[in-house]
Amino acid sequence: MSAPLLEVADLTIGFRAYGTQRRILHGVSLTVGEGERVSLIGQSGSGKTVTMRTIIGTLPMPPGVVEGGAIRYDGRSLLDLSRQERNRLKGTGISIILQDPMLSFNPVLTVGRQMDDIVRFADIREGRTRPRAERRAHIVETLWKVQLPEGDRILGSYPMMLSGGMRQRVLIGMALLNKPRLLIADEPGTALDVTTQAEILALLNRLVAEEGLSLLLITHNLGVVREMADRVYVMEKGRIVEEGTRATVFANPVHPYTRRLMEAVPPLYGLGVRTVTNLRESRAPAIEADGAGKAFLTRGGWFNQVTGRFQAVNDVSLKIMPGDIFGIAGESGSGKTTLAKMMLGLIKPTSGILEVEGRAVSALAGTEEFRKLIQIVYQNPGSSLNPRRTVADQLAVPLKFTGHETAGIGRRIGELLEMVDLPADYANMYPHELSGGQKQRVAIARALSVRPRILVLDEPTSALDVLVQSTVIDLLHRLREELDLTYVFISHDLSLMRNFCNRVAVMLRGEVVEQGAVAEIFDAPRHPYTRALLSAIPVISEQEEALKPQVTKQERAAVLATSTALGGH
Amino acid sequence: MSALPDGDGPLSPTRSMTARQMARWRFTRNPSAMIGAFIVLSVFVAAIFAPWLAPSPESAGSFVDFRNRHAPPSWDNPMGTDNVGRDILSRVLYGYRVSLGLVVGVLGVAVPLGVVLGLCAGYFGGWIETGIMRFTDVMLALPPLAMALAITAVLSPNLVNAMIAITLLWWTWHTRLIYRIVKAQMNEDYVEAAKVAGATHRHILFRELLPNCIPAIAVKSSLDAGFVILFGASLSFLGLGIQPPTPDLGTMVATGSEYMPDMWWQAVMPGLAILYAILGFNLLGDGLRDMLDVEL
Repeated sequence: MSAPLLEVADLTIGFRAYGTQRRILHGVSLTVGEGERVSLIGQSGSGKTVTMRTIIGTLPMPPGVVEGGAIRYDGRSLLDLSRQERNRLKGTGISIILQDPMLSFNPVLTVGRQMDDIVRFADIREGRTRPRAERRAHIVETLWKVQLPEGDRILGSYPMMLSGGMRQRVLIGMALLNKPRLLIADEPGTALDVTTQAEILALLNRLVAEEGLSLLLITHNLGVVREMADRVYVMEKGRIVEEGTRATVFANPVHPYTRRLMEAVPPLYGLGVRTVTNLRESRAPAIEADGAGKAFLTRGGWFNQVTGRFQAVNDVSLKIMPGDIFGIAGESGSGKTTLAKMMLGLIKPTSGILEVEGRAVSALAGTEEFRKLIQIVYQNPGSSLNPRRTVADQLAVPLKFTGHETAGIGRRIGELLEMVDLPADYANMYPHELSGGQKQRVAIARALSVRPRILVLDEPTSALDVLVQSTVIDLLHRLREELDLTYVFISHDLSLMRNFCNRVAVMLRGEVVEQGAVAEIFDAPRHPYTRALLSAIPVISEQEEALKPQVTKQERAAVLATSTALGGH
Repeated sequence: MSALPDGDGPLSPTRSMTARQMARWRFTRNPSAMIGAFIVLSVFVAAIFAPWLAPSPESAGSFVDFRNRHAPPSWDNPMGTDNVGRDILSRVLYGYRVSLGLVVGVLGVAVPLGVVLGLCAGYFGGWIETGIMRFTDVMLALPPLAMALAITAVLSPNLVNAMIAITLLWWTWHTRLIYRIVKAQMNEDYVEAAKVAGATHRHILFRELLPNCIPAIAVKSSLDAGFVILFGASLSFLGLGIQPPTPDLGTMVATGSEYMPDMWWQAVMPGLAILYAILGFNLLGDGLRDMLDVEL
């Protein structure tokens, strides 16, 4: 085999901060061959981003310190190059696609201006000059490659005028402008909806094949890796713990960490799927919606008159029985969170009826009784916990305002912490002293403190790593059995729903397009949108891939017509 | 290299320190913050122990010693004497009492007032927000020195009225600062979580939102202290602040300036004293800002 295009050899990086130095990377070695697709897998904090930033030379030094090792690109040692020589490789040698398509743009400049800058500065570095029209023709041609045929319209737009999928495409186009040989992609498409993500991944694969690029993909999503890599490296705590071809690592993971990672991914189909059932028998629904809808009005002008109307939730009817884990699935903007907030009485429906345990939410909302009936766990515990109050302070809030006697609050906090498997001395800690999973446990304990019967879970694990996610899900299962809870589970993660819920409703643009028992919906999806959604989910085994519903391009385009249109809504 | 601690935790280099330790570390490693803290401390010591530290405590009153007037700095009078022979150092030490009294009086009223209005405007929104914030804008549009001059001139010039005038102008800055912070915090889920938990407005305002404003308030107040001293001195310089014979730094500069440049110490020494105190509060404020990681 000839020399690899990129070779990282025994790279050791330390961070110096606050008078101490810690080692972050411990002798990381990896290679990317010409035309090869390599994935670096790791959870947050594993050091994968530090590795990437050292390769492209954007790791801040200090505090970063290279303690040892080398990075060779095309036979040249990157760490020994001067800044100028290093810069010449940017875009022309190594190019990068960043994670967040919104944050990667300057919002006040047109896309055309930003792309032109990239070409112009590369030309300057190369000592070339090209007239503006020629550069523009080159840019339009590049946009063609990323499946954006309306180049002129896009170049005249500002980033906010494009949809998420288009922004990600433009970003890929930017990376390709100067014909790099190695493309580094940092979690491409993770910030996007699953159907859009699938399109982006397919595009990247095609580009790598057609342009003969090498790809280094950095991700935590094993499903994405399966579709995107020839070889994989698994990283844990700054060390490469396993490497090999994709087929061998996926079929036969050797390192215990890799195995745990694979096991923690909820399977979409196949033998590993866990089907949840509701054994409680009752006829009266816990939550019932009958034609519930919510329209938001935009106001403006001189007299604050209504200038627009947006139907966030439209004519939703569903019955959630006591003991159910009822999933509400949908992509961003589908109205699922609005529906949940209506159930909690935080948003008033503009049409239809919404009842909790047979009584209208509008009449109950704000009362002590209602708070003892239904509570919520938010998506991001970093935001739902007050950073400046201790765990005990935060757990005490619902108790204090729901008539719990003051003397017993301390004891109840102890009980709650025990219930979510946290040590009692965590009561005096501040949120930043806890990990993400621990914070979410505190948030769950807070929701349960007043002994509600229904819990709304708004994407409770989407901010967590997959290993942490599985422990939180286990906790939720246990609590449901111990406390006879009913869950309303809002999520975009259908694999997780398959294993966690017993019934689901799929939402699209404010409407429920399909609902029923989990097994039925997943095994025989009727609505084309549900089929498109399921087929777009990256899975981790061939067996699951074979069981996914097959959707033709035309079918997908029919339901997702608006998702990539200019302007997005 | 092998002697280094072998960190194998997640990427946070700070995991081994608590936030409090880290903040203290940042503060003590910041030379300007330490100097500022030292200066502010020395000003407070000077003001509190003025009767014991002053070489001639009687100079603080309407004492005259014409034999000794206009004496240049010497061992007996390190800052020289003024036009009636009083020891300037002693008067500067007593002058700090007035200055710090002004700071405590003004900030003690203006900060709580501004903070509460800012909290309410940001949290309640609607007409309350419009009312408070537009009134604040109007107050900010008035030229501060002209306003203060008008108020003290109407009320008769003395320490208390100077304090009232400055307070009336000062709360607006805190209102705007807190309003901005609260507006940003309202997007965080913990506010809604508290509402779902049934918390009262009072609880959310003072137990949930206020703690998140404290760092900014601390930094802003420290920086403000310097400006209040300066503002008070400006009023006195114009004859509308503290009246003789009470020793005030601004009045001393005003009186001393008549004897410039030959008897320079009479204006320069109190001027340097003002500079010293303001410098201290500003350095301290900057240090706190770095330590508490707030943006103003």
